[in-house]
Amino acid sequence: MNKLMKKTLISAVLIAVTFALYQNFTLMPEYRGLNEGISDYIITYGLNDTGSLNLITAVLYDYRAFDSLGESTVIFGAVSGIVLILSRKMLPVSSKGLSFIVKRTLGIITPFIALFGFYVISHGHLSPGGGFQGGVILAAISIIFSIVYGSAFDYRRYSPQTKTVLETVGALIFLGIGLAGIVMEGAFLSNLGFLTAEKGTLISAGSIPYINIGVGFKVGAGLAIIFYSMIQKTFEEDF
Amino acid sequence: MAILEIILLVFLIFSAVMAVRFDEELISIIFLSIFSLILTALYLLHKAADVALAEAVIGAGLNTAIFMSAISQIRHGDSD
Amino acid sequence: MLNNLIFIILFMLGFYALIMKTNLIKNVIGLNLMEAAVFFWVISFSDIGGEISIHKLGETMGEFNDPVPQALTLTGIVIGASTAALLLTLIIELNKFSGTIDRDKIEGLND
Repeated sequence: MNKLMKKTLISAVLIAVTFALYQNFTLMPEYRGLNEGISDYIITYGLNDTGSLNLITAVLYDYRAFDSLGESTVIFGAVSGIVLILSRKMLPVSSKGLSFIVKRTLGIITPFIALFGFYVISHGHLSPGGGFQGGVILAAISIIFSIVYGSAFDYRRYSPQTKTVLETVGALIFLGIGLAGIVMEGAFLSNLGFLTAEKGTLISAGSIPYINIGVGFKVGAGLAIIFYSMIQKTFEEDF
Repeated sequence: MAILEIILLVFLIFSAVMAVRFDEELISIIFLSIFSLILTALYLLHKAADVALAEAVIGAGLNTAIFMSAISQIRHGDSD
Repeated sequence: MLNNLIFIILFMLGFYALIMKTNLIKNVIGLNLMEAAVFFWVISFSDIGGEISIHKLGETMGEFNDPVPQALTLTGIVIGASTAALLLTLIIELNKFSGTIDRDKIEGLND
């Protein structure tokens, strides 16, 4: 078909989808989750069931912890696919990094970024934060090393083998706590209640801080491996 | 607070339109980063603190870095 | 009502960039815009004018916002970034093989 008919057809498709989305709002039932659904139960009984002050962390790592396991598996699948496609056989070229002022300044700031990342991971049940946010902050340190100091420095400091070991350790922590739930209380990934102290302290809320640490390692190492693999440039290969 | 929300929504749509429009990819990625920043402020206006932290770190940090490292490795064809 | 309108505008912008532009990187940007529109709409459902849903010890709290849509949005943001990284890797390899990133000009795709 010629171009005019194709353009008319595509415009008709776009207008039809817009009209369908608009009609969706008049036919949709009203949102009832807060009055008689699951959110009412979580807001009323969340603190007594799990012991964590942050209700969103309680939803993500206690009531729906299986979904967080699925999300970690998606990240693992993406990392595996990227490393499989971009594997290099020749010597990678590394840049020299940025100027002297930037290198000295980042050398002073980087330990504080790492401290902030560990704070966000470990205080996931007391303040906004958790495993995913803190893990990405830790991956940002590896990105800073690659950009400011050159990728050869990043290779010498934390080689990809070290990052792979960290990712595996994080996944094993998550699965280990899940299997310990089967042994001790009869359900996969149930909250181990005997590790609890009083509410509001750092070591409370059962097994939620340990799941946070496992997820933080896994997400941080995975995203650092993704960035390191994508910036490699080799010499020209013949196809 | 309603006026602040309306101003931020206008800037959101403006940066989304600008991200789609240009042909050169570097400008589109910069406007995508601005879009992510304004979305973080909007999440905080709706009192969702965890989601704002995640969008700030992932959207404006990691996503932009990955896009930039991808467009530095492509070569355009000869006929363009 | 304002949130519904913003969702429709952003979603159709992303959809337009996905099917009408032939640059492959524009398609990935369009996919990201569609996901961001859905997340914004879901978060606007959880807002009933309450406070941030974190307990404070020793004080009586008012109403809380809804914590379930916020947990689902958190999962969605991380998965969107992983998907975009994998798609960009495939685009880099395709560019090495055929020399262009235009959807119409790749040989062997249109016959």
